[in-house]
Amino acid sequence: MAIITISRQNGSLGDEIADALASKLGTVVISRKYALENFFGEINPGTLDRLNESAKFFETTLPGSKRTYADILVEKIRTLVSASKDRDLIILGMGGSVLLDSFPGALHIRVTASETTRLNTIARKYRITTDEAAEVLNIADRKHKKFVRTVYGKDITSPEQFDLILNTDRLSVDECVDAICELARKHDIRVKLSESNIDKGTFDHQTRATKFKNETEEEFARILNMYNIEWLYEPKTFPVEWDAEGNVTMAISPDFFLPKFNLYLELTTMDQRYVTKKNKKMRLVQELYPGTNIRIVYKKDFNELVDRLKLFGGLNDNTREDN
Amino acid sequence: MSNLEETLKTERVVYSEETIKARVAELGKQITEDYAGKELVVIGVIKGSLYFLSDLTRAIDLPVKVDMIGFSNIPDTTSKTGIVRITKDIDIDITDKHVLVVEDVIRTGLTTAYIIQNLEMKKPADITLCSMLLNPDRLLMTIPVKYFGFEINDQWLAGYGLDHDEIGRNLPYIAQIPKRK
Repeated sequence: MAIITISRQNGSLGDEIADALASKLGTVVISRKYALENFFGEINPGTLDRLNESAKFFETTLPGSKRTYADILVEKIRTLVSASKDRDLIILGMGGSVLLDSFPGALHIRVTASETTRLNTIARKYRITTDEAAEVLNIADRKHKKFVRTVYGKDITSPEQFDLILNTDRLSVDECVDAICELARKHDIRVKLSESNIDKGTFDHQTRATKFKNETEEEFARILNMYNIEWLYEPKTFPVEWDAEGNVTMAISPDFFLPKFNLYLELTTMDQRYVTKKNKKMRLVQELYPGTNIRIVYKKDFNELVDRLKLFGGLNDNTREDN
Repeated sequence: MSNLEETLKTERVVYSEETIKARVAELGKQITEDYAGKELVVIGVIKGSLYFLSDLTRAIDLPVKVDMIGFSNIPDTTSKTGIVRITKDIDIDITDKHVLVVEDVIRTGLTTAYIIQNLEMKKPADITLCSMLLNPDRLLMTIPVKYFGFEINDQWLAGYGLDHDEIGRNLPYIAQIPKRK
């Protein structure tokens, strides 16, 4: 599941990216238009115009209510996101990155482009001159910034609130969509692992760069890549023994996690006395963290696997270790 | 000793023709019961499952659809090992259908995991596995092996679809062969 907020400069192709992304993920775009049509019940055309035109109007209360349009907008979006469960959701504009900044699974994307690109896009879209497009952009940028500042008191243009900033000067809509999808998929795996860390008291190492400890691990990663099996390297540590004061005295960080198979693999190239200790740790992980799939790849297993791959690898259709 | 046995330097019969035939009949009966009233597509993995797929599907008394899938290692400029890719995809639409993947042997399960990942993208109702041989001690991947003929250990085998360098698939029984380097 991915919750993706897209903030965009006018004329940067952000709307087109949101639509293409929604189509690829099989979901809808929650945009300002969607919000005005669905969040506030029946509203008269005059109110609709004012909500469209004026950020300030979001601060007014609904007829017969003490709550403002901004309050309802925030509540409705948060409710939608919380209820989305396994559904993908795309929030376009409306300061989604500010609104959902503390939502752990959300990815915040900003789409930008140079002024020249944006002017050309606007001029083409509305069939106007670039001078007229400059005026349109000027007004639209001001209004956009004002909306987020008025409703949330934040600056939408500050880069630190975004996870990914895409510049469409040289990137196509398709390239941007592919990049967002891939990032969302990996981010989702990471978030789920982090959540399980909170639940189980294990430690998260997912932000570290992959640095293999030995050639065996590197070779094993290559084998997984060969089979297009996604892996994370040492994503977490499982404490398995504590002293009387609750300090961790023994822990294990399995070498690989295969998210698709919900499986931890620990490689060992050590001699037997260390393997015995590892076996103990594995047993403790299974006892202390029920439902955790964890397996040891022994030195013998690994060598056998490599032997078979060497023998059956190459360009013919026998490239399988399973024989 | 036959020509084929001599070429393979077979050491001993591990599973005879009769034993295989009886076990395949049992598997067919079990699958027939489990999938009664369901739409089942049986997919054999090229080339090892050739004989097992042929015998197993004839032991299943259901209107199954049969297809085959093949894969290969192709060179890749960015890696030394190359990458595994599907070379013969299935032709039957498996969307919302029950799928039974038939393998000759599963050891670590890496290749099977690769095939399952690919088939899952076609959105079947479910995927289960039937392997003639299974080495549970070497199985690394968490894959849904529901049916298997026999458990094996680390021995090197040929026959009934299993080969060494493309030789030995047509041996009608499963034999142990010397480990090759």
